[in-house]
Parts: sequence; C-alpha cells; structure tokens
Amino acid sequence: MNPSTGAAMFAIVLVGVVVAFLVVSTYNAVIALRNRIRKAWANIDVALKQRHDQLPNLVEAVRGVMAFEQDVLLDVTRARAAYTAADPIPRQAAVSEQTSAAVRSLFAVVERYPEIKSAANVAALQEEIARLENIIADRRELYNDQVFRYNTRIAQVPTNFLAGAFGWTPEPFFAAEETERERPAVDISPA
Amino acid sequence: MSDDASLLLVLAALGIAGGIALLVRGFGGYRSAVRVGDTATSRISSLAAGEVRVTGTIEPAEVTITSPLQARECVWYRSEVTAGRDGTTTFKDERGVGFRIRDATGSIRVFPRGAHVDAPDRLDDKDSPLGERPPSVTVRTGSPFQTQVAGDRESEIAALLTVHVPEPVDEPFDRSERGLHYVEARLEVGDVVTVVGTAVPFGHLDDPDGADLLDRYGDPLAGLDDPEVAMNIAEAREAGILTTPEEAWGNAAIPGFGIGRPVRAPELDAAATVPVLATAAEADTITRTWDLEPDLLVLAAARDAPMLVATGAPGDVVAREEGRFLLGLLGAVLAIGAAIAGAVVLAAQ
Repeated sequence: MNPSTGAAMFAIVLVGVVVAFLVVSTYNAVIALRNRIRKAWANIDVALKQRHDQLPNLVEAVRGVMAFEQDVLLDVTRARAAYTAADPIPRQAAVSEQTSAAVRSLFAVVERYPEIKSAANVAALQEEIARLENIIADRRELYNDQVFRYNTRIAQVPTNFLAGAFGWTPEPFFAAEETERERPAVDISPA
Repeated sequence: MSDDASLLLVLAALGIAGGIALLVRGFGGYRSAVRVGDTATSRISSLAAGEVRVTGTIEPAEVTITSPLQARECVWYRSEVTAGRDGTTTFKDERGVGFRIRDATGSIRVFPRGAHVDAPDRLDDKDSPLGERPPSVTVRTGSPFQTQVAGDRESEIAALLTVHVPEPVDEPFDRSERGLHYVEARLEVGDVVTVVGTAVPFGHLDDPDGADLLDRYGDPLAGLDDPEVAMNIAEAREAGILTTPEEAWGNAAIPGFGIGRPVRAPELDAAATVPVLATAAEADTITRTWDLEPDLLVLAAARDAPMLVATGAPGDVVAREEGRFLLGLLGAVLAIGAAIAGAVVLAAQ
C-alpha cells in the first residue's frame, strides 16, 4: 500500500472511531437520562401514595375535636380524593400542590388545639406527613432537575440531530399549569 | 534508510501510539463527564434507592488510613514512586476505606470497593540531583490503618512526652535508586467530593466487610473467597463450633476491640497490654457506627453501575473530565499528524 494512502486511511478510520463513539455515547446518554426521569417520577409517585394513605388517619384523629373547623378537614379530604396515579404529570402536580396547602392549613389549625397537639397519635401522624411533604418537595426538585437536563440535552447540538431521528420530545416538569390550579370539584357528602 | 529518516519514523510511531492512548483516556473522561453531568444531585435526607449523585464533605467512618508518602490521615490514597528516566515503577499502592458524606440535610455511609476515584495529585516531587529526598515526602511507618477513636488525654500527653529511640524506617521502596519521582493523590476528611453510586439498603450488600475496603493491588479479604476456607468454615459450622459470634471470633466480636477501645473487658494473655475500656459515650458511638440498620440506605458500587468518587463539586468534575476528552481529541489530531509525517518520510525514501 502506498504510504500516503495508508496515512489517509488511518486518519479516516480514526475520525470514524471518534464520530461513532460520540454517536453511540450520545444515544446511550439520552436513554439513560430518560430512564432517570422515569425513576425520579416513580420515586415521587411512591411518596405521593404514602401521603395519600396517611391523610385519612390524620383527618380521623382530629375530626372529633375540631368540630368547628370542618372547612379545613374538607379541603384536605377533597384534595386527597382528587389524587389519581394515572393522571398526567401537570395535573398530579396541581393536586399535589393543593394537598400540600391543605395539609399546611390543617397543621396551622391543629396548633390552636393543645389537646389534639399533645395526643401521641396525632403528633406521630403530623411528623410522618411532614416528613413525606419534605420528601415530595425534594424529589420534585430532583425530577425537575432531571427533566431540565434531558430537555436541554435533546435541544443541543449534536443531540438535536439524533432527536428527530429517534423521536425524542421534551418531558413535562412536575409543575401545575394555570388551568390545573383550580380547586378540584369532588363530592364528598355522605351518600 | 538514513538515520534521520529512521529517527523521524520512530517519532511518528511514538506520536501515533501516544495520540491513541490520549484518545482512549479521553473517551473515559467523556463517559465520566456525561455520567456526572446528566445525573441530578440528590439530597441525602430524601435519597431513594438506585443510582444517585451526592455531593458533600467527607467524614470518617470507623477508621481512617495513613498515606505512604506523606503520612497524612485520609480515607483513600494512590501513591506511586518511579525511578530513572524510563520511569520504572518501584512502588505503587492504592487503598481506601469506608467513609461518610455529609450534605446540608444529613450523612450517608459510602462503601468504596470497586470505585473509580478521580482526585488530583497532592504530591508531585522528585529527589534533588544529589539524591536527597524532597522535604515534602514523609514516609509512613507502620500500618496504613489507624484508629479514629481518640485515646484518653493523659495517655496521649504521656506518649508525647516519651523520648523514643529512633528506629530505622522500613521504606516501601528501594532508596538505592537515584532520582526517585513521588506522586500521591488522596481523599482527606473535610474534602468536598461528588459521588455517583448506587443507594442500596445496607442489608442488601452481599459482603459488607469486603465492600468497605478498596485495595487495587491485593485484596486483604481475598482469602475469604477461597473454596478451602469456605469449606472449613462450613464444616466448623456444621460441627457446631461456630455457634455464636463470641465463640467464632473471640475478642474480635467485641465492638471496638479492633480499634483499641473495647466496650467490655476482652480475654487477653497475661503478658498483653490491657486496652483502656471505652467510656459510656464512646461505647454508644462505637456500637452505633459499627451496627448499621439493615434498611439504612448506603452508597456502594453495583455490578452494572460502578461507583465514581471525584474531588470537587459536580461542575468541577464535569469540567475536569471534559478537559480530558478535549485532550483526547488533540491526541487524535496528534496521531493523524504523526501518521501523515511518517507517510511523507516513507514516500521520500
């Protein structure tokens, strides 16, 4: 083989190796990013379900004493009833925000009732729900950060060339859209 | 072929080899940059199981180790001594122990076995032309393992005031070699690190003792995998010899015994130095740190996801790894240039 041809072939092969590495690495990185988003969402979902399961216990524990605070209890119950795991993410974000706000109001009212606040089971439930609220807030940030990284990545060169070919589209943030912020209309009156 | 042409061809071959080596290293840097950069930072208090990225400050767990070339307390070191112009390695060691990482929300235990550690060199020095050791090198004496639990004040003062007869230092490398080059990287208590690893419940670790050590050039627990040792243990267990930890391990089953602060009196030979018992507070600390709850999340390497421990905040790590990738691309350019130069030399003959 002519030395010049050999050198040219070497250069072409080396450039080809670099390009192939970048394409394969970029594809794998985007797939990993999508899976991280799914995992982050699944972790939020677990915490939302745990909070959903704990709320009735808290409402039951305080219902008898807080006879004059039915609006607050109603807000919590209404927000809890609006939770559906199969809803789109923006809708779930809106419901989650409303639930958190209702729970904060309930905690504020409980402060006014020393006899409830001092009850061991109410204190334990309050602590557990507050822990879950913190976990949801942290995991929501993590999810949104992961979505931000993914959406940025697929919009950048050279990934945007691959995005069209593989049908990668931006993922939604865990944030309530304006249309989702309305109070959910759920009938909780006794049948 | 003339001598000049031969020399140029050798240089071209070296350029190709060096360029490809840089490129391969750059590929590794790119993969690390993508892995660190594409994973969001988790808060330790709300960590979920699975692959996570955590950034925080290193805290000691049960023990720390001492680096061989500068005798500094650390949780990981990689040390190398090379000699001569050809850089023959006369000493090489990489070792780490489990540690904790703390962020603003809490701390988590890290089991570093199998981790890839990316830490800049803290020592990079050479012997003087007369063969004198540089002042930055203080060779460690004794074992790399040292206790984290402090002794009592009186005995520490007594030890400081005692005059010791100098003993010859048993150096881990050959001092008869001239022109030694010392390089050491470390992770020390208080360093900020970014860890990308897998959060798993402590009870899910196959081999917690082994996972707690990183020893690149000789696993001290390798013997535990020996089929003959396993058979002997199984036989002893069947014979009822290994019924309780106390019977199986003797004094070693006492919490804190290995670090010189047992929580109760051990059975010792009459001639042995009796260790000082731990105070109630120390006993509580020892028991707490040595007994992790099975459900407690810890960071470890998974089979399909190796752990990366890198010095600095995520942005610093990504910048460093991307720099390595750019250097790799320059290596590709160097290799291509060297190949063209070689072809020109060959064509001219």
